[in-house]
Amino acid sequence: MSSVIERQNPADGHHRNAGALGRDGSVDMDRILHRETHSSRATAACIAAVLVILLSLYALLEAAVRAIGQPPWLIDPQTAAERIVALPDGMPPLLLGVIGAVVAAAGLFFFLSAILPGRRAKHLLDMPRVAVVVDDEVIASSLARRARLAANVTPEQVMVVVSQRQAIVNVRPTSGVPVSENAVREAVEDELRSMAPVPVPSVRVNLAETGVIGA
Amino acid sequence: MNSTPRLLNRILIGILGLALLSAGILLMLLAAVPAVGAWWQAWSGGVWAGASQMLGAARFPGRQESWLWIVLALALILLTGLMVAWIAQQGKGRSDLLLAAEDPGGVPGDVRIGSGVAEQSLKEAFAERADLAGTSVATYDVRGEPALRIRLHPRPGVAPHLLAEDAAALVSALDSVVGRETPVLVHIAAGARTRFSRAERVR
Repeated sequence: MSSVIERQNPADGHHRNAGALGRDGSVDMDRILHRETHSSRATAACIAAVLVILLSLYALLEAAVRAIGQPPWLIDPQTAAERIVALPDGMPPLLLGVIGAVVAAAGLFFFLSAILPGRRAKHLLDMPRVAVVVDDEVIASSLARRARLAANVTPEQVMVVVSQRQAIVNVRPTSGVPVSENAVREAVEDELRSMAPVPVPSVRVNLAETGVIGA
Repeated sequence: MNSTPRLLNRILIGILGLALLSAGILLMLLAAVPAVGAWWQAWSGGVWAGASQMLGAARFPGRQESWLWIVLALALILLTGLMVAWIAQQGKGRSDLLLAAEDPGGVPGDVRIGSGVAEQSLKEAFAERADLAGTSVATYDVRGEPALRIRLHPRPGVAPHLLAEDAAALVSALDSVVGRETPVLVHIAAGARTRFSRAERVR
């Protein structure tokens, strides 16, 4: 929009453009961030489209074969329709039920992916010039490094799971070496404070009862 | 960021999902409840009788086959074409231009800066960092305005906010070169490349 205005008024285009970009930029950025933190369902869309294409190509083949009066490839459309009309007969009920269950499960997958919000596992970071989206896995790995340094254990003994509102830090101490839960919590919370993801997850630290030998 | 038609995706997937779901539930009911079987045979029998009457009415003069089969085949070709077009819409929206504006100075003409300027200079700036396993920069067309997407793949344990600050500094350097602020999205991503890369030793 702003570029159109600019092109029509080359005299004051520079000023106008600067103002419009600031306003448009923030609106666009909100839109971009929403699109980046929500799934586009491109995979489900491609699967659905390929499914419909395969079905319609097969139906096309049978219809075309029928139209030019050749014998059918697998089943004549008329026979197929008659069998479908007579359905509970002519087919074992168990097979029919299983086919129905599979079809219903596929339908449920498509339907749910259409209506659920489709949030991706990502957090936002507040930065002055750029919009920043961070995968939860990256946050978890950064928190794990801090927790590992605070607990003085090897990387294999720390596991961090970050979700939208919670960060769960699991630490398995080395056998015989005590680990302070408070120190780990302090370190992880300090890292989260300086990172400031939106929304900030609350920290839960789990120290395992059993230790690791020889780590 | 790209111009995938998200609402269309949701609507079409929802329609297909509802259709499959109801067909599956109908098949399960047919297998389980005899009363549904009787209703189905009566109802669909009526529908099929009507359809075959239509097929019979639409014959070629002097031939046995109905021309409705050709109409059906054409409709199916159309449906296939629409589905291919739908797939082609996914992930579209890359742009070639970082900036296209009229020169505000006295010289007549336009200024166009290709997206390669931003993409290659930012990639080059990130290339030597030891805490990154990979970088990709792409320009997208967001509602007619170009926008940059910088995707950084950090090695395990790298603090994302420090990385984002460095990226912001590089972007403002780019701003002063290009002379205009482009909307920039920094995506600090995890993936197979970051998961299996070794952690940075010295930090």
